[in-house]
Amino acid sequence: MSRGVAFYILGRFLQSVMVLWIIVTLLFLLFRLAPTNPLASYIDTTFTKQQEAALLARFGLDKPLGEQYIIYLVNLLKLDLGDTFSYSGKSVLDLLGADLPNTIYLTLTSLLLAYAVGVLGGIVMAAMRGSMVERVGTTFTLMTRAAPQFWVGMLLLTFFAFQWKLLPSSGIGPPMVRYRWETEWDKLMSPVFWRHMILPTFTLALYLHGLPLLLMRSNMLEVLDQDYVTMSRLAGYSEWRVMIQTAARNAMLPVLTALTLGIGYSIGGNVVIEHVFSWPGLGRTLVRAVQQADYPLAQGAFFLIAVIIVFMNFIADIMYSLLDPRVGASAQAQAS
Amino acid sequence: MSILSIRDLKVNYETQDGTVQAVDGVSLDLEEGQHLGLIGESGCGKTTLLKAIVQVLPRNGHIVSGEIKFQGMDLLKLPPAEMRQLRWREIATIPQASMDSLNPVQRVGSQLTKLLRVRGGYRKKAARKRAVDLFDMVGLDTERLMHYPHEFSGGMKQRAVIAMALALEPSLLIADEPVTALDVIVQHQILEVLRELERELNLTVMLITHDISVVAQVCDSVSVMYAGRIVEEAAAEPFFASPAHPYSLGLQQAFPNLARPRDELVSIEGYPPDLREPPSGCRFAERCPFAQDDCHETDPQLEVVGDGRLAACLRSSEMDALRIQAEDPTLWQNVEVARGLSTPHPPAPSSPHESLPFGGGRPTRREGETFVGSTTTDGSPSLSMGSRGHRPAGEGFGEGENMPLLQMNDVSKQFKIGGGLAGLLRGDKEQTVYAVNNISFTLRRGESLGLAGESGCGKSTTGKLLVKLLDASDGSIVFDGDDLARVDDKKLLGFRSRVQLMFQNPFEALNPRFTLYRSLTEPLIIHGWKDESERTQRVVETLDRVNLRPAEVFLDKYPHQLSGGQLQRVVLARALVLHPDFLVADEPVSMLDVSVRAGILNTTRRLARELGLATVYISHDLSLLQYTCDRIAIMYLGEIVEIGPSNEVINNPQHPYTQALIAAVPAPDPTIENPPLRIREGVPRPTEQFIGCPFAQRCPEVMEACLEIRPPVIGDERGHQAQCHLYGEHRDSPKLNREAQLAR
Amino acid sequence: MQQEASVRGDQPSKATMEFRQGSAIRQLWETNLEVFQRDKMALFGLFIFAVFAIVAIFAPQIAPNDPLTPLKNNEGDWIKDAMPYWLAEAGEDEAEGYVNNFLLGTTNIGRDIYSQLIHGSRSALLVGFSAAAAVAVIGTVVGLLAGYYGGWVDAILMRAADVAFGIPFIPFIIVISAFLDPSIWNVVVAMAALLWRDTGRVIRSQVLVIKEQAFVSAARVSGASDLRIIFVYIAPSILPLSFLYGSFAIAWAILTEASVSFLGFSDPETISWGFMLQDAFNSLALSREAFYWIVPPGLCIMLTVMAGFFIGRGYEEVLFPRLRRM
Repeated sequence: MSRGVAFYILGRFLQSVMVLWIIVTLLFLLFRLAPTNPLASYIDTTFTKQQEAALLARFGLDKPLGEQYIIYLVNLLKLDLGDTFSYSGKSVLDLLGADLPNTIYLTLTSLLLAYAVGVLGGIVMAAMRGSMVERVGTTFTLMTRAAPQFWVGMLLLTFFAFQWKLLPSSGIGPPMVRYRWETEWDKLMSPVFWRHMILPTFTLALYLHGLPLLLMRSNMLEVLDQDYVTMSRLAGYSEWRVMIQTAARNAMLPVLTALTLGIGYSIGGNVVIEHVFSWPGLGRTLVRAVQQADYPLAQGAFFLIAVIIVFMNFIADIMYSLLDPRVGASAQAQAS
Repeated sequence: MSILSIRDLKVNYETQDGTVQAVDGVSLDLEEGQHLGLIGESGCGKTTLLKAIVQVLPRNGHIVSGEIKFQGMDLLKLPPAEMRQLRWREIATIPQASMDSLNPVQRVGSQLTKLLRVRGGYRKKAARKRAVDLFDMVGLDTERLMHYPHEFSGGMKQRAVIAMALALEPSLLIADEPVTALDVIVQHQILEVLRELERELNLTVMLITHDISVVAQVCDSVSVMYAGRIVEEAAAEPFFASPAHPYSLGLQQAFPNLARPRDELVSIEGYPPDLREPPSGCRFAERCPFAQDDCHETDPQLEVVGDGRLAACLRSSEMDALRIQAEDPTLWQNVEVARGLSTPHPPAPSSPHESLPFGGGRPTRREGETFVGSTTTDGSPSLSMGSRGHRPAGEGFGEGENMPLLQMNDVSKQFKIGGGLAGLLRGDKEQTVYAVNNISFTLRRGESLGLAGESGCGKSTTGKLLVKLLDASDGSIVFDGDDLARVDDKKLLGFRSRVQLMFQNPFEALNPRFTLYRSLTEPLIIHGWKDESERTQRVVETLDRVNLRPAEVFLDKYPHQLSGGQLQRVVLARALVLHPDFLVADEPVSMLDVSVRAGILNTTRRLARELGLATVYISHDLSLLQYTCDRIAIMYLGEIVEIGPSNEVINNPQHPYTQALIAAVPAPDPTIENPPLRIREGVPRPTEQFIGCPFAQRCPEVMEACLEIRPPVIGDERGHQAQCHLYGEHRDSPKLNREAQLAR
Repeated sequence: MQQEASVRGDQPSKATMEFRQGSAIRQLWETNLEVFQRDKMALFGLFIFAVFAIVAIFAPQIAPNDPLTPLKNNEGDWIKDAMPYWLAEAGEDEAEGYVNNFLLGTTNIGRDIYSQLIHGSRSALLVGFSAAAAVAVIGTVVGLLAGYYGGWVDAILMRAADVAFGIPFIPFIIVISAFLDPSIWNVVVAMAALLWRDTGRVIRSQVLVIKEQAFVSAARVSGASDLRIIFVYIAPSILPLSFLYGSFAIAWAILTEASVSFLGFSDPETISWGFMLQDAFNSLALSREAFYWIVPPGLCIMLTVMAGFFIGRGYEEVLFPRLRRM
């Protein structure tokens, strides 16, 4: 890797850090907006003033706002997200650490499935431009994007879990099984876990496949008009080579970026699916935390999701500059 | 045996507005080893013909009838798979816009080897070896195989595409506009490569172009296409010596020619016919100065008119006489007048300013200038720039005449790229581009100056500085006594009313959402013309002046309804609607078809004279500048390396760069072969400032002094100046080995 | 003159915007007209919106019952979980002491589902259109300013967009909705605060393209002021793009509102389709296979969202003819 590209990556990284810092600050301010005392759920009516003050001191809430902000930043840097209110004071990080893998499994599986189908579908749609298949196909895809995910999930649940009783309706395993998995590896090796994955994955993938499909289709149509595609036709390459090796390869670049971005956004956007399928992931935890006014937990979950999004945005930027020689080179040329 | 034989080919396009008969009965034979040049303007069907031969017509295009035989095989009856096999192995094509024909995300070398392996059945090693040979053959450094297309210059991409085209040793090479959009020096070198390869490989070539001088340089026979038909066919030499079709005659006369400069170019007025309903008679009749009544009725066939020459003209027997008449540009203009009269001409607008002495040659129009201000703001001269205010009342304009209208004093312009906080955050390192370096010149009223040079020489930046679209980084630009860097808003508005810019691409220069009337009144509205009828009058008057007659017809039109030539006239009209003193024309005709170029140039030149307009023409085309300008300045890497009266600069160039530029211009005459150039192609990126001469890197005459000492400006009493050590005190400095230079 | 147009007809038009004619407002009107004339699906989308709009406006007149009040039978008990009359067993209602005229049955606390459905269109359209308008307006202004002025203005606005891109959307809305008083406007505010980012970026890059076009330089050379250039030359060219993003934003807003309501962060006093689904989900309608309760709100969401998509695609096809379905 040349100096130019390294410079570019470093610059991008610094920029991401700055963005994250602003988000973290906004998050801090946002949670000061909270209508109730952050300790409302903690403080019993029988508490004395002293007890209350002690509690406030324990959470550092008696200090001036500026100082709280500094403490908050320092704690974040130390990855200390505080303790939860509602899970008997368990550390936020531990709790989220247990949720994160579940969210990642769900997200990655659905994304890969969705993008595989979407990319292929997009190529087919572009190749069959103007045909009946294309019209029906794109309309179907639009419908999957228009249908609320939770509703699709509910319908699938009704059929597969309740009516036909083929698949489990919630969670990642029977309640007692959940604690039997010693490690993540055990979990991943367990057929029970995968059986629980099927419905949420399918629901999510059904929704997610629309973006890559439509994007791939329009990129293909754009690329097929390019002179270098005409050139490869003129050169007598077979239609398959023209479509796949030349056109699809070039049309893929933005889709790969979308995939990278999609990882970040799905992790933050799976909230609804996780809620429907009671999937113990970040999103469901966030919803519960907000409902139960467990602010450290909510704040921590929000923070974690934001970190992942910003990081994936950063990766997408870098990846694009590495995959497309033109972008990489312009960064290089400017630094050399 | 003819390698390619086309018989009565007809190709149609289905469009929303009807069926376009793009190729209508073309027959053509190409012998083995022949180099055929197919000449025609855009829309004449030449590219469609190519697409039909290799059968890559767009989906709305289809072959209606006819026959295309290649080496005896009927291509139209060939199954698609076999046709595909034929492409590139037998018929290789260099497509138009071959700049974009390389896959941007694949190394050029691997594109070439992939082609060799997939289409040519080469093994990996052999393919690599062949790729190296091919790059050698077209004069590309073999290291370049590892590069991506964006790392190539335009000329290098073109060479790479030629290498690809020749990779499988095709029996026929079809090249569509292979040198269009390249700088002259690059163009010259590409043509040289083509010529060499033709000779070495005994290629059969069909070269499609609008540029007859390219054909003159590389082809041995010529076919001229017009409106979907072939109108003339001949061997190159007789064709260029004595064209046998009026259209060919016009094309030849329309080209400015460095060797034979003309006072007035021939402009083929009018536009090609609508190919949805082609005329029943001769398709050129409408634009032809020799057209007789029967020309409009009888469709002329391609007939033998001499030894192996074919022409489709009813008056071909009188051609010798017509050829002499055709020399007279007024003859061609008469066509236009006749056409103008055939449509009802509106009464001339009764303008309150009709008494303006526009017809006169010299600019007595200073009195007239008042109305730019006076009709708008109670007669105060506030809208015109300073000097008028300074001048004592009642003083004539005679004195100002000799005072330069515009002075550029050591003007420089640098661009910083990748800087700033955003750039820092993004990790871009700041870099300076020295676009214009210390240029100085003056321009008198009514004078015209041409700025020439390869792309990237800073001529367009200079143009933008002149109209204050950009501000100079150093130096001063003084317009009529006012330093442009120090004008307030009010004066700026005055300046804006006196200085105008004409753009290269007429298709982009007008707001697509505005009617022409709206586009033309905008400047008037901005400058406070409140009265709509006065505005309308001015607009009509200006349209009339640029020969868009009757003007009323054009007022409600939108840009997309006009042809390029008409649009460029509208652009000219917009530039002139405020009656400016100074016009900058940036490549005013480079996007236009050859036949209408001359018309635009003639009109601009005539109006500049009538209005006493000072003009700066920016162009890469020296012959154009010679035709339009009093003086020419040659720019290289942001500096003016030579400046002087046009004929002096062209006929007696002093700077080695000027000499190379002139030598590179292809002559529209097959008997003159351009000498090989002693200069490397490719302008370096102007990201550093030179201690010595900026041209030293490429100069064939380079001496030691050139690298270290800034060359002096040496001039004669006629104002012909060159910035070169060859004529200064260091003229005896030891010469450097050019090869050693090139190796650096 | 004809020739030019006809010959260019066989070549793909540039991916840049293709506009035909008109002064700013007339042009916009004609672009809109063209969208709906050319694209029947866009027209269909418009039709869907029109129907729902009528339903929303006359909801109290159309709905047979109040959507929030539990219906009671003769004995004063809630009419819980009544099946639609066309599914219910005959005579069951009489036995329970009420007349079953419920098109879609009742909820587990005896609310009329059909009436809820009718009233739900109000929040969907209200949120959809106001959020879309906010997103389009903010995005357009940001894009115009950033693209036209460049420099610091651009740097600040685009970094702000980066921040907006880094904030997880649904979690943000959830937190906002939880912290502010329950109201459907929370979704609108949250969407406006974040979703301008896409519109802003796209408009900005389009402004950068238009700004460099010769006709804009020509205006500047003629002495046109910045404001004149922005409003007379640039804005009319990008407004259709704002409409495009606006149409898609309607769709996203409706979906988002539904999701947030479904998660239980909406105003329980305002009926929305998402709220209905939450109600169904929480009262275990799934296990009872109460399709009459689950399906209609989802279908309504889907229809309105698709209407937004259709219109947006209609704009896309006019603005980017290359993607045209031929």
